[in-house]
Amino acid sequence: MKPVNLVRKLRRDAAFEPAALDRGKEQLMAAIRQEVAPRRRPAIVPQLPYQDIAAAIAFLERAFGFREIPTARRVSPAGVVGHSMVEFGDSVIGIGTQGAHGAFSPKTAGTASHYISVYIDDIDAHYQRAREAGAQIASALHDHRTDYRAYEALDLEGHRWRFVQWLPEVPR
Amino acid sequence: MVSSPSDAEVIGRSLDQPEAFGLIYDRHAPSVLRFLGRRVGAEVAEGLAGELFRIAFERRKIFDTSRESALPWLYGIGANLLLKHRRGEARRLRASARMAADDEKPNRRTPALDARLLFPRVADAIEALPDGEREALLLVAWEDLSYQSVAEALELPIGTVRSRLNRARTQLRELLEPGGKKRKRSR
Repeated sequence: MKPVNLVRKLRRDAAFEPAALDRGKEQLMAAIRQEVAPRRRPAIVPQLPYQDIAAAIAFLERAFGFREIPTARRVSPAGVVGHSMVEFGDSVIGIGTQGAHGAFSPKTAGTASHYISVYIDDIDAHYQRAREAGAQIASALHDHRTDYRAYEALDLEGHRWRFVQWLPEVPR
Repeated sequence: MVSSPSDAEVIGRSLDQPEAFGLIYDRHAPSVLRFLGRRVGAEVAEGLAGELFRIAFERRKIFDTSRESALPWLYGIGANLLLKHRRGEARRLRASARMAADDEKPNRRTPALDARLLFPRVADAIEALPDGEREALLLVAWEDLSYQSVAEALELPIGTVRSRLNRARTQLRELLEPGGKKRKRSR
């Protein structure tokens, strides 16, 4: 017997349900529609200054679940990231080099001038994730009366992030 | 009679009209599901097929439009996805070897060639092949792809496909020669 024929004897077909074809088509078309839907960009974009942009983005992705917009990254000929953007939900934040546009990282300035509130869906899991990623917790997870649950964390360079979920949305 | 557009034409059109890509799915999803199903079973295959077509859609700009059919290209994307499912694939292959052996007549004259003994060793030998050789072999033996299509799928020169298949065949032939060289690799 030829080796290929021998291998052929081990072929075992796995019948797929006809419905699997339709499910796959639906998912693909949904993904395609989402891809081509014109994305509304927010009109106001806060810009945060950092000493080390690449490290800052990696941390924001790992700790807070933000996602860098791949096309937004600007890299100098020397390979240094000069500016990029991260998105979360329908919002975008610029991540830039400190000193440019007169703004400085809290790590350099020794003080922060602002904090940013982020409204999220599953704050308990988010809190867990941020702690596991080594975010410094500035204000532990707590309920504010019956309105919302929140915590605050500092990122690698001391920018302060406040994460909030409205309490009626928190599963009991 | 109006002939239907080639895959290359459809993919070209999908650059401006993304939903046209649905036709690529309609044409090839059954083959893709069968291919993945043979390797990892129907259940895992469905999820992988979804991933495969999304990747294909995202990469449609780099599809080589000098190729008529998109199927080898899809096989290539699938082959990469399967690498993450090596363990499940190995399990399935060994189970298939046992089931296939049950369908064969016992070979009392040459016990080494008896399917109950031989087929599991064939499964082991397929498993022991380097990824690239195993993939080329299974695309030919299970999917009936031509060498040219395998070359397109794995993005290799056709000469490399030939040499990979030769090496794979040599490994397997040793199993069929009782008293010949013993299997070099064991698991």
